[in-house]
Amino acid sequence: MTVEILIPLLTAAVISGTPILYATLGAMFSEKSGVLNLGVEGVMLTGCLTGFLVAKASGNPVLAFCAAGLAGALTASLHGLVCLVFQGNQVVSGLALTLLGTGLANYFGTAFVGQAAPGFTPVPIPFLADIPGLGPVLFNHDPLVYLSYMLPLLFWLFFTYTRFGLNLRATGEFPGAAAAAGINAVAYRWAGVLVGGFFMGLGGAYLSLAYTHLWTNNLTAGRGWIAVALVIFSFWRPGRAVFGAYLFGGIMALQLRLQAFGTTLPSSLLLMLPYILTVAVLVFSSLHKKKTGAPAALGVNIEPRD
Amino acid sequence: MAAGFRILKRQEQPAWRSCLIVLAAVSLSLLLGLLLLAIQGTPPLTGFKVLLQGAFGSRWALEDCLIKAIPIFLCSLGVAIAFRLRIWNIGAEGQFALGAVGATWIALSFPGLPKFFLLPLMVLMACLAGGFWGMIPALLRQRAGTNEIIVTLMMNYIAILFLDFLVYGAWRDVSGFPMTAPFPPGAVIGTMGSSSVHWGLTHCLVLGLLVWIFFRFTRWGFEIKASGDSVRAARYAGIPYDRLVVLVMVLSGALAGWSGFLEASASLNRLQPSIMAGYGFTAIVVAWLARLNPLNIAISSFLLAGLRVGVEHLQLDLRVPAAFGSILEGLILMTVLAGGFFMRYRIVPRSRS
Amino acid sequence: MRIGMIFMALFCLAGISTIHAAEKELMVGFVYVSPVGDAGWSHAHDQGRLALEEMPGVKTAFVEAVAEGPDAERVIQTMARRGYDIIFATSFGYMDPMLKVAGQFPNTVFMHCSGFKTADNMGNYFGRIYQARYLSGMVAGAMTTSNVIGYVAAYPIPEVIRGINAFTLGAQAVNPDVTVRVVWTKTWYDPAMEKEAAKSLLDAGADIIAQHQDSPGPQEAAQQQGVYSIGYNTDMSRFAPNAHLTAPIWNWAPYYQQVVEQVRNGTWTASSDWPGMAEGIVDLAPFGPMVPQEVQDRVLAVKEQIIRGEEKIFVGPINNQQGAEKVADGVVLPDEELLSMNWFVQGVVGTTE
Repeated sequence: MTVEILIPLLTAAVISGTPILYATLGAMFSEKSGVLNLGVEGVMLTGCLTGFLVAKASGNPVLAFCAAGLAGALTASLHGLVCLVFQGNQVVSGLALTLLGTGLANYFGTAFVGQAAPGFTPVPIPFLADIPGLGPVLFNHDPLVYLSYMLPLLFWLFFTYTRFGLNLRATGEFPGAAAAAGINAVAYRWAGVLVGGFFMGLGGAYLSLAYTHLWTNNLTAGRGWIAVALVIFSFWRPGRAVFGAYLFGGIMALQLRLQAFGTTLPSSLLLMLPYILTVAVLVFSSLHKKKTGAPAALGVNIEPRD
Repeated sequence: MAAGFRILKRQEQPAWRSCLIVLAAVSLSLLLGLLLLAIQGTPPLTGFKVLLQGAFGSRWALEDCLIKAIPIFLCSLGVAIAFRLRIWNIGAEGQFALGAVGATWIALSFPGLPKFFLLPLMVLMACLAGGFWGMIPALLRQRAGTNEIIVTLMMNYIAILFLDFLVYGAWRDVSGFPMTAPFPPGAVIGTMGSSSVHWGLTHCLVLGLLVWIFFRFTRWGFEIKASGDSVRAARYAGIPYDRLVVLVMVLSGALAGWSGFLEASASLNRLQPSIMAGYGFTAIVVAWLARLNPLNIAISSFLLAGLRVGVEHLQLDLRVPAAFGSILEGLILMTVLAGGFFMRYRIVPRSRS
Repeated sequence: MRIGMIFMALFCLAGISTIHAAEKELMVGFVYVSPVGDAGWSHAHDQGRLALEEMPGVKTAFVEAVAEGPDAERVIQTMARRGYDIIFATSFGYMDPMLKVAGQFPNTVFMHCSGFKTADNMGNYFGRIYQARYLSGMVAGAMTTSNVIGYVAAYPIPEVIRGINAFTLGAQAVNPDVTVRVVWTKTWYDPAMEKEAAKSLLDAGADIIAQHQDSPGPQEAAQQQGVYSIGYNTDMSRFAPNAHLTAPIWNWAPYYQQVVEQVRNGTWTASSDWPGMAEGIVDLAPFGPMVPQEVQDRVLAVKEQIIRGEEKIFVGPINNQQGAEKVADGVVLPDEELLSMNWFVQGVVGTTE
């Protein structure tokens, strides 16, 4: 593949990968605290719509982006309510949240299909954007992409070095022991659910504020599920999540470019690529590593005690 | 927990209480739904009336609900088998698609066969195809330790695109549109008497009964239930857990595949992409609402089919967006889950001492 | 006996008066495949519906986002049972469901858009949007400098393929070296996917983006990259003021008004209508300021020819993608072949699967 094809492809991979990256980090945050949230798709979509509506009403994309995060946290709090307060099954509650979140977003969003709102546009970083190859791929994007560059590092620092992060992980690994050590395990799980939901919401908002500036029902189109898969793929490590997100962004961009460059393969088969790749990387990473890094108490509720 | 209360585990869980809790949960969801209608500017009580009347208010409506309940019931019966073992089969949608593809393949390949031969052959192929699609995630889980939730989900997309690939390619009708040619008469399941309900309803009765017998009276059924309650205890008792995983996924997929066959043969009389109407997800709601019991699954698939039908009337009369149905499905599932808490625990005031 | 006569008379009177009441207010129902929203295919039809609302004595309703297949059948049936006089269904997949329902309700007028089947009480209609696509292709062919035009397309069905072919013939009429590259998105309305598809075409060297999609996503991509674009459905210039050259657009109002008038005064008969530019159903959106006057003049001259019936567009010699002659010199491709078109003309890069 020549450079003229490769550079646009990598550029597209970064942009397509960014919403997935935000959502993957959000899902990871939630899971680190021991709460499996399969409702990423629904949470993303409520964030996506909220971001769009706030941007439309206020004209301020930054405010809209933050509002989308809050909407994500609010949607995820329903999952917290069911699982942390009422001890509901986390898998089923997550599926229900998918239905509810997508339903809510489409219900309130139907009236706005086809409208446009202000959002983020690319801002090349001076000097860096001029580096041949690397410049256009990494440094000629909108501010939300640049923000996403910093997040994995921040997440890693947070989980490895801060007291809060360590306690959160302890809650996800051994909630009993954590509680015995005086940690309020339920409170940490709430933090996990809400902060996780916040980042999922941001991932959704990327789609309606930067990727395009339009809204339609189901704009997230399954990206939330890919994020759930990527958490497993990344062995619950933020750094690998970046790799995974861009890999998927790349494959999504690739299948369209294969068509544009004149392949005669049927489009249905090309559209399968991201999903086949998901299964393949899951199998590969599960075979490759017996100890995957999954929090030991992931998906296990903390029984209430009197 | 809360200052003035204690949470105690209940010793027994009588059926009437679970009934009551499910009823309360559904009522709460409906109330929240009505609130949403009000927010959207629709008079909530009128909306409720339209929803109910549209779903259950006439003979046609009831027939519509029955027709719609058939695929939901079979998919739900399938996922319930897997859920019994705590295997999360989210892939009913894809298994349904493969079943429809399998049945179509037979219908298009042997158009001249008589009905009594062709239909069973289509069922067989649909079950094989759906069961095969269910087996892959089971084997991957067993051999590689992959998470079946993600794999079944991704395989949904792959199956739907495979169906697309066929109807846009090799199986495309001469009209040029993405659908197969109509099935030969021998491949079509007819309707019962003067009603619009097709004979698939009887398949549901038989299969539901078989699944009930399976869990009630067979050794495998017992082992699945026991392993679902505690994997460790099951392994200790020498139950071949890994083999059960494959078994439930194959059965699960076969039932979803059967459902795909019925939709293709009875409802559409051909294969086209619009056969995918999201029954797989509704099936999960139904299975959980029914606490995985076949009779309850029948009742709740009928009710959720009613919801889908009723929402169309809401759209027509009051212009309520179609997504209202999926909101209610999600709400019902969440409240029922939360309600489970009151089944397992009771809250008592803290004694004064 | 006499009392019986009186009752008979009363019944007749009652019957007549109800018929009379029905004549007073004509109920017209629309079934849409996607949300009405603010742009796109269903939006264009809904503009037509709103024009009907303006007519005295006409009441309309619609159901949006109705899946093709069994759901559509039920929705159409519901409308018919509720006594709607005319039902318009505006997606190809509604054809067979509508035909089924039409057989059950002989007194209702059924109108299906974009198909080919008719019945005593069911007509079909479509618009010759390919005429406008040809003109927009001329504009694109005149404006390209790289001689590569990108075409973001929804589904490989005859309607879309016909549009791509007409567009390509138009572009080649002014610029024989043009090639049109096609990317299928398999969506009607997904701004994210469609924008990305447009970008992939830009990466492949296209300097003009055309679309058969309902979302303005491709327009956005063109605007961002500083290249030109051709819209679809409605004037999309507000989404991409610097890029939007023109767009093939729909104007259903005159046609819908005509059908309603015919039904009201009893002159309606089932037929296949395929109105075009001459009838004002399809048109070209106003040119952007960047389109030079001589290009505009040339395009408008051909538009006049189309309206007068002198330019039929699909007139031989036309070669297929592989360069083999598909339509012989001087032969005008008949409508039936246009309606089931599933091959690309020479100069298109892409596949019809």
